[in-house]
Amino acid sequence: MPAIRRGSPPPFIPDDETPLEKLTRHWMNERHAPDILPAQEDLLGTLLDHLRRQSEVVQLLRGDPSTSEEEHIRIVLVQTEIERVKFIVRSYVRTRLFKIEKYARFITTNAEIQTRLTAAERDHASRHAKITDRHFHFSVLQSLPETQSHLDDTAIFMPPMITEPDNSIPVFVHALQNCPKITLPDGTSLEMEKGHISLTSYNVVQHLVARGEVELV
Amino acid sequence: MALPQSLRTSVTPPELELIASQQLIEIVPLISMERTAFISGAYGPLRPPNKAKIPLWMAVNLKLKKKCHIIAPEWLNIDYLQERLTRETTEPAFSDLPFRFAEISKVLLDVASDDLDNPDKLRSLLKDLREARQAKSREGLRELDHSELSLPNLCSMEINEIRPFFVQSMNVLSQIVRNPIPEPMMRP
Repeated sequence: MPAIRRGSPPPFIPDDETPLEKLTRHWMNERHAPDILPAQEDLLGTLLDHLRRQSEVVQLLRGDPSTSEEEHIRIVLVQTEIERVKFIVRSYVRTRLFKIEKYARFITTNAEIQTRLTAAERDHASRHAKITDRHFHFSVLQSLPETQSHLDDTAIFMPPMITEPDNSIPVFVHALQNCPKITLPDGTSLEMEKGHISLTSYNVVQHLVARGEVELV
Repeated sequence: MALPQSLRTSVTPPELELIASQQLIEIVPLISMERTAFISGAYGPLRPPNKAKIPLWMAVNLKLKKKCHIIAPEWLNIDYLQERLTRETTEPAFSDLPFRFAEISKVLLDVASDDLDNPDKLRSLLKDLREARQAKSREGLRELDHSELSLPNLCSMEINEIRPFFVQSMNVLSQIVRNPIPEPMMRP
């Protein structure tokens, strides 16, 4: 764990960041991080509510024959924005889904990663793991010798068969504020100033990503 | 498939454009519109000929309907870009440009080139800048080690461009550091 400077400033989230900007940041972080990041259930809920309200207004105005030409342009703009936001929401959820399916077997055995998922995501992971387990069992594993017939067997010459997130892969980080000192893989330390961009291994910056002090770009 | 293969390792330029299009830009509206609440905030009122600030995507939408003129951001003009290009070609560091300048300038040159001064010259300056900076990124590859590479002033689109190669190279370098090849195996 990289050393955190004593008296470092509290987690920094700019106050003027709108829910949409927050989701955009989380979306990009999720896309670039190898691991699954904490679920943003409340934020997603807020935006989905807002989307529903905006769609209702649009429906209402569309149905009203007295809607003027000028109103019409406003409706088109609101509708365009709805589609933009929906795209981001969808892509965000799909990115998580992709990682959940990829690491499903790992998720079922790791309690820490489960805390970062929503109840529905945990459910999906365990069902997915069960189905693939069954499939592997009936198609190959049942005909192997007992010592090799489980996915979590650790044969000496084999890479593990359960996919785990590889947190050592490099990511591009963009500092949103002055960051406390981090220790790099080669043992030197780096203190990122606001606006600094760096390519380094995910596991040395993951606590900064979690606190919102940096974003992945 | 939850995420298509092409989206797994990186984001795409259209996605970066989508993000950049949320930035505010000044326009001169040709229609009037009351202040309206959007998901990203409230914009307006539009009262020609008063200037207004709205997100880029909205400006593009109105521009395509010929309902506004877009005012170029302060960095999108020949003097500014020429000065940056001179610095780019004479100094070793990347000069500072807005983080999403590539996306925004592309959108503006595509839909609002008639609102810009001398768009052809702008295009060629942007192209020269891009090439000068690309050459520097390639130089930067020399500095790459397994641990960290600082890239001050690199822009969003440029990061995306070098991502696959840089990430993979760094990965290979760290594997070499982590599992050094034992001496005897290195002999031919």
